[in-house]
Amino acid sequence: MSDVLFAVALSSALLWPLLLALRLPLKAALAQRGRPPAPLDGLWCTAPLPALALVLGLGEGTLALDWWLLGGVWALDGTRGPLLAFTALLWLLAGIYARGYLAGEQARAVAGDGAAEARLTRFALLWPVTLSGNLLLLVAEDIASFYLGFAVMTFAAYGLVVHSGTRDARTGGLAYLVMAVLGEGLILAGLLWGAGSAGTTTLGGLREGMLEAPGGAWMGLLLWLGFGVKAGVVGLHLWLPLAHPVAPTPASAVLSGAMIKAGLVGWLATLPLGEPGAGQAFAWLGRAMLVAGLAAALGAALYGVCQRHPKAVLAYSSVSQMGMITALVAMGLVAPALWPALSAAVVLFAAHHGLTKGALFLGVGIGEHPPRLPAWLLWTLLVLPALSLGGALASGLATKWAFKSVLYDGGHAAVVTWLSLAAVGTTALMARTLWCQWQGERQAREDGLEPLVAPMPLAWLATLLAALTLPWWLGEGLATPGGPPPAELPGLLWPLAVGLVASVTAWGVARHRPLRATWRLPPGDLWWPLARAWQASRRRGQACLARLGLAQGAWVAWWVARERDAVRALDGMTRGEAWLRRHAAVLMMVVAVGLALALLFSAA
Amino acid sequence: MSGALILLATLGSSLLAAVIIFLLPERAFRARTGLNLGAALIKLGLVAWMVWGLSRGGEYAVEFPVLEGLAFVLRADPLGIMFAGLSSLLWLFTTVYAIGYLEDSPNRKRFFGFFSLCVASTLGISLAGNLFTFLVFYELLTLSTYPLVAHRGTAKALAAGKVYLRFTLTAGLVLMIGMVALHALAGDIRFGQREILAEFGPERRPLLVGLFWVLIAGFGVKAALVPLHGWLPRAMVAPAPVSALLHAVAVVKAGAFGIVRLVYDVYGIELSDALGLLNGLVAVASVTILYGSLRALAQQELKPRLAYSTVSQVSYIVLGIGLFGPLGTIAALSHLLHQGLMKITLFFCAGNYAEELGIHRIDELDGAGRRMPLTSLAFTVGALGMIGLPPVVGFLSKWYLGTGAIQAGLPWVIAVLVASSLLNAAYFLPILARLWFRPGPDHGVGAWPEERRLGRLETHAWLLVPAVVTALFSLMAGVLAGMPFSPLEWATGVANAEYLP
Repeated sequence: MSDVLFAVALSSALLWPLLLALRLPLKAALAQRGRPPAPLDGLWCTAPLPALALVLGLGEGTLALDWWLLGGVWALDGTRGPLLAFTALLWLLAGIYARGYLAGEQARAVAGDGAAEARLTRFALLWPVTLSGNLLLLVAEDIASFYLGFAVMTFAAYGLVVHSGTRDARTGGLAYLVMAVLGEGLILAGLLWGAGSAGTTTLGGLREGMLEAPGGAWMGLLLWLGFGVKAGVVGLHLWLPLAHPVAPTPASAVLSGAMIKAGLVGWLATLPLGEPGAGQAFAWLGRAMLVAGLAAALGAALYGVCQRHPKAVLAYSSVSQMGMITALVAMGLVAPALWPALSAAVVLFAAHHGLTKGALFLGVGIGEHPPRLPAWLLWTLLVLPALSLGGALASGLATKWAFKSVLYDGGHAAVVTWLSLAAVGTTALMARTLWCQWQGERQAREDGLEPLVAPMPLAWLATLLAALTLPWWLGEGLATPGGPPPAELPGLLWPLAVGLVASVTAWGVARHRPLRATWRLPPGDLWWPLARAWQASRRRGQACLARLGLAQGAWVAWWVARERDAVRALDGMTRGEAWLRRHAAVLMMVVAVGLALALLFSAA
Repeated sequence: MSGALILLATLGSSLLAAVIIFLLPERAFRARTGLNLGAALIKLGLVAWMVWGLSRGGEYAVEFPVLEGLAFVLRADPLGIMFAGLSSLLWLFTTVYAIGYLEDSPNRKRFFGFFSLCVASTLGISLAGNLFTFLVFYELLTLSTYPLVAHRGTAKALAAGKVYLRFTLTAGLVLMIGMVALHALAGDIRFGQREILAEFGPERRPLLVGLFWVLIAGFGVKAALVPLHGWLPRAMVAPAPVSALLHAVAVVKAGAFGIVRLVYDVYGIELSDALGLLNGLVAVASVTILYGSLRALAQQELKPRLAYSTVSQVSYIVLGIGLFGPLGTIAALSHLLHQGLMKITLFFCAGNYAEELGIHRIDELDGAGRRMPLTSLAFTVGALGMIGLPPVVGFLSKWYLGTGAIQAGLPWVIAVLVASSLLNAAYFLPILARLWFRPGPDHGVGAWPEERRLGRLETHAWLLVPAVVTALFSLMAGVLAGMPFSPLEWATGVANAEYLP
């Protein structure tokens, strides 16, 4: 009975968003005459509700479908449950926020602005489709469904990124799409290679098969890099700072909060983490991941503090945070014995970062349209998630304690030190974000205040609440309730203090001696030189192709000329024949005379 | 009904339709339409009947001697009936589409007459029981397609027709020489009698290898293997239903199917592997896949881009044949069907854009998704399938090719597959982005090149319905791949019969 219930709940969780997406064109077709309907209505916001009900109400279960693709297996377990819970919650709250954020556009669409209506319809259609892909990849246990969910999410989210249709949005969309396609290619290669070697169609089988297959670590490398595009591994993170600032704020929130976690989910699903028999090759892969993760955590912080747009700063903060998560995942390969305890910390980190970053992104919109709150209260509320991300309180503190205690117990103090340095960077990034927001908010406050009881502020407050109380409501097994013992607090909080001091010093110095930088560090760092190099090589390639085309043309022309020669030779025969015909009598005479002469002489 | 009769009836339905169409006057539009659709439906029904019969162990065969030691053989085996099923199903849609497409255009009698002749020869190819019968129908296909390629009668169309004839007739000659040599060597080989060639001693091996490549050169022209593909992009001037026929239903597929027959039913997969022929096929296919994709990337017009995409995609079939092992075989056979479903959708859509809006170039497609949502949706399904994204069937082909490559011990083939996927994405995704995300004439930017309002729907219903239905088929064949009678299941059955003694 419970199996049937689980099957129904799971399929409705996946299908409900799709049905809501389908409803829009149907409604538009039915209401052809008369005013266009408002696409973002109350029902539209309910898309993630069945998924939330599934994970909170039913918990664990498995569903197998023989007829689906290569054989479908969908499951919900101790790791997937918390991930699904925070993902669905973030999507729900961001959806409600979107209703407020896009209310102006909706009003224009209803009033008859065609362009606004087209944009809004696209957004309303692709939002639930993206959600559905995100949910599917979380519950999928067979490779085909997982890849399907990943692809649907990736490609549908393109529409969310380019929503505004400006030039910047198109650049961001292009960077997003190019990197996503590259990632898909790497993932496909890793999955095909691994699944082909292991002869399996499930993710569990893939993980086990990789351990024994020759070249297993190379498969792991492909998969790490492929999913790393989504998770913002250093060097593959180019799309994040370009796509985040241009997307509508609720889309940035789910992009940074939920969707980049899909990369992490991919690692958890495919890499043989915590397998004692993984061998040296996998340990080396782990070390590479560790170095890349720490490099991202520190490098993104350094580059991010030079940004001016708060969402670009937050995007670099996401790269930095995902770098820390990468380092933790890498420990599953470097020190497999730690993994059972560490995996819980990683999931908690993902959920904490997802919701907190969601609250921060939604807060950017709140800063631009401040609600009717006293300034001190508004700013306290905006600072809270920043402090939490820095590891000073609530879910941030719990997460930090969770992985720090595991790493200390395992004897990896050096890694902890590096992660603490990254936390200094996080604090600086948060200070920079708030500074950028402060500049914008003063202007917005003069323009007028929004009512407090509206979708935007309420959704933001709810996200904030969910993020801060995370350790208390998300799975008992993940976090030690009550937080770290007081004696450990100085060890956990010094990065925050250092970061704050550094930020204040930098601010003070900049105020007295304004830094007149002649060059600006654009968001998207490596994207720009790479794009220029690509253009140059493309021009060269086109010149090469043109030469090749000329050569081919010459080759064909040579053959056509030979053909013409042959035809001419044939024509020559015709002419020869005609000549023979004309001179037949003379020729016969000549032959006859010749013969006669020959006879005459031979006789003589 | 006896087995022989049903075979002849299947073949005869289109032949008879062709004859009657030639006898009807040009203006008998209703009679011709009814006859076309009736014949297509009857044929589909008969093939479905044979599929059902075969799955229950029935046999369908007919043969009569032509010369001493040479017979005309028709036989329905699972492999042949798979191809027959594909071509008769897609034929129905192409017929519907062609009727809508050619409304009010001249020379419809000639067109539909040769059209029916073409399907008759395709069916003959799929049901042929030996190389001789195969060759007869193969040549008939060449000759009956020429009037369709040159249908418009413009200088460009005539030139394309000439190129087409040059390539295919030469190939037919090469093929005949190869077949005669094989016949002289081993007598009349029925498809499936793999032991005949396998029993030759090692001294004959070089000869067999040579003959194999001669025959591949013959088939390779229709299968558009690089460097024998030149005719296919030129033939783009033909009307859209003819393109669908060239690329998805009959001509290109006949070449690929010939290679399938040659490897699996004449040489046998084990002998081909032992002679080292499969590695050669993999190499040729890999080059073709990458070359076709690269050339597609450089095209500025929609139909040539799709044509080069066909060059690349059909070679997936050849690649699958070259991968020794059941998974590679499943990939080859199922892609024979999958590529047909996806490519016919794409060509229908390209035809719809050209007919309704006058769009030929890719940069004219901006915002067409708003004006023609269903066509664009169908195009999107086809394009995503070509890239190899689930749940469209293209993913299944790619999956089996990749895992088959590992099974055959050629992991580098995965790199070819991934490169091809990336290139496919690089030339299809910009089209999709233009369709859906760029503002176009319906958003008030610019104007369509030549807009005609052909119907109450977004275009003429006879043009719209086939595109949507084939797109649905490509989607359902992927989602429901585990169901009995899905293309994948049928291909798996054939492949298992091939490898299990």
